[in-house]
Amino acid sequence: MDHLVFEVGLAIALIAAAGLISSKLRFSVIPFYILIGMAVGPHAMELWHFDFRFIESAPFIDFMGRIGVLFLLFYLGLEFSVGRLIKSGRSIAVGGTIYIGINFTLGLALGFLSGFPVAETLVIAGITTISSSAIAAKVLVDLKRTANAETEMILGIIMFEDVFLAVYISILSGLVLSDSSSLGGVLLSALIALGFMLAVIIIGRKAVPLLNRILRIRSNEVFGLVVFGSLFLVAGFSETIHVAEAIGALLVGLVLAETEHAKRIEHLIVPFRDFFGALFFFSFGLSIDPLSLGGNAIWLALAAVVLTLFGNIWAGMLAGRTASLSPKASANIGLTIVARGEFSIIMANLGKEGGLLDIVQPFAAIYVLILAILGPLLTKQSKPIFNMLNKIFKFKDPRLRKEESNSA
Amino acid sequence: MDIRESILPGIGIKYRIDAESGDRIVIIIHDDGRRELYHFDYEDLEQSISMTTLNDQEARLVASIIGGMTYKPKQLESVEMTFDDFIIEWYRVESHYASVGKSIGELDIRQNSGATVIAIVEKKGMKYVNPGPEVIINDDAIVVVVGERDQQKRFKQILMNGSG
Repeated sequence: MDHLVFEVGLAIALIAAAGLISSKLRFSVIPFYILIGMAVGPHAMELWHFDFRFIESAPFIDFMGRIGVLFLLFYLGLEFSVGRLIKSGRSIAVGGTIYIGINFTLGLALGFLSGFPVAETLVIAGITTISSSAIAAKVLVDLKRTANAETEMILGIIMFEDVFLAVYISILSGLVLSDSSSLGGVLLSALIALGFMLAVIIIGRKAVPLLNRILRIRSNEVFGLVVFGSLFLVAGFSETIHVAEAIGALLVGLVLAETEHAKRIEHLIVPFRDFFGALFFFSFGLSIDPLSLGGNAIWLALAAVVLTLFGNIWAGMLAGRTASLSPKASANIGLTIVARGEFSIIMANLGKEGGLLDIVQPFAAIYVLILAILGPLLTKQSKPIFNMLNKIFKFKDPRLRKEESNSA
Repeated sequence: MDIRESILPGIGIKYRIDAESGDRIVIIIHDDGRRELYHFDYEDLEQSISMTTLNDQEARLVASIIGGMTYKPKQLESVEMTFDDFIIEWYRVESHYASVGKSIGELDIRQNSGATVIAIVEKKGMKYVNPGPEVIINDDAIVVVVGERDQQKRFKQILMNGSG
């Protein structure tokens, strides 16, 4: 019997319930979507009419989650602009490099020291490096921190990470998704991925006037179809040449961002991004059996959480100092971007598609769950945490020192 | 005064204003039109001590008040707008006024006060621009009147008492 619609309805109702609970608790929704997904699934029970195992609909929900990734990255591409990044200044480039350098190195160290092969280590480093733009930006607005001095630096680092993510996925997808095992073959597929990206961006830039004309469509219906059509076509095509489909979606976004229709596309896409994005987190949770958690994955995740906290605070202090922010503001930087979310899961899924070790998925799940919950809490409590750290480390305020030397 | 503008990607635009008085104000214009005003502590410029959130329309009204421009009032009983000696004033007609139900001609407003009614906006949405003598003054309407200060005063008398 085909109860597909009913099962999908049940899934969406569960996700909605998780969302309601999280907003009642005034918490980030992402961990709740994952948790509700983990709570049901193949190991769950069947209650009268309600089949919480989602066996019939699993492939379908999985597919909707994939669409969610496409929309997330498409939106990222739309929002991103090189001009903005350049405008935001040198201190952000320095801060972003420090942040990614420290966290990526720590991630690599964790992978190698735990004895993982190269591919797994690279995926793990990706999971631990890239923070969740969605959570960080939302926390800033919710906690009314947007007016603070360090906010520009925080958002700049997030943007910097987005660039890193794009380049990193393209290299990694060449490495992980390619069938070849030789170094030359891997390099070749990484090159194909980079070449494909460059080609799309260059052709896209040239085609902007043409796209402007093509997209001048009055009917919203046809407009939406054209945008969705190009998104799915390019993303799907990327996959056929072993470039992650997420990269394809990102590229379409980057190209369309240059057209005069960017705002209209953004409006069109946001509801789809939110809906399919929620299904993405749910389907990720669904793919993880909570009973299989435990053992190595938990220890690895806990170690990664400790490393991430350490790396974030350290990187935040350094980045803040380069922008001559006070130690307190610098501590805020590190504590605000601790949250991990959508991008870490995209990394983990890439590992799954590439047939890497099974531990990567549950590791990512525990790691993201802990940090998605801990991140906003740390941001909220940044003041007492700073005071505590200050007692131990006795941070010097670079601005005060400058004033002292001026007066001397 | 020192103003610094910066873009907050994904959130909006931020203006940091250091006033001569030593106050630091930060205004955030969110992409969704919301405005947030923060006021920072004199002693510790990192600690915001108060903040206000306004929607787009409210922010525009506040801007026009701060900017010293006049705006079309909705809630105020009377607001003045001056052109040399002439004043345009808004009156809200209350139910106990003796003029309620009478026409402009009946009250003989121009003869008795010297002021001229230039518009009447009724609560139910009826609007009269430059109303003729036959237009009746109803309860809760807003009457817009142009005239000199003492003409306005006499008009108010007529409105309340039914005669000069």
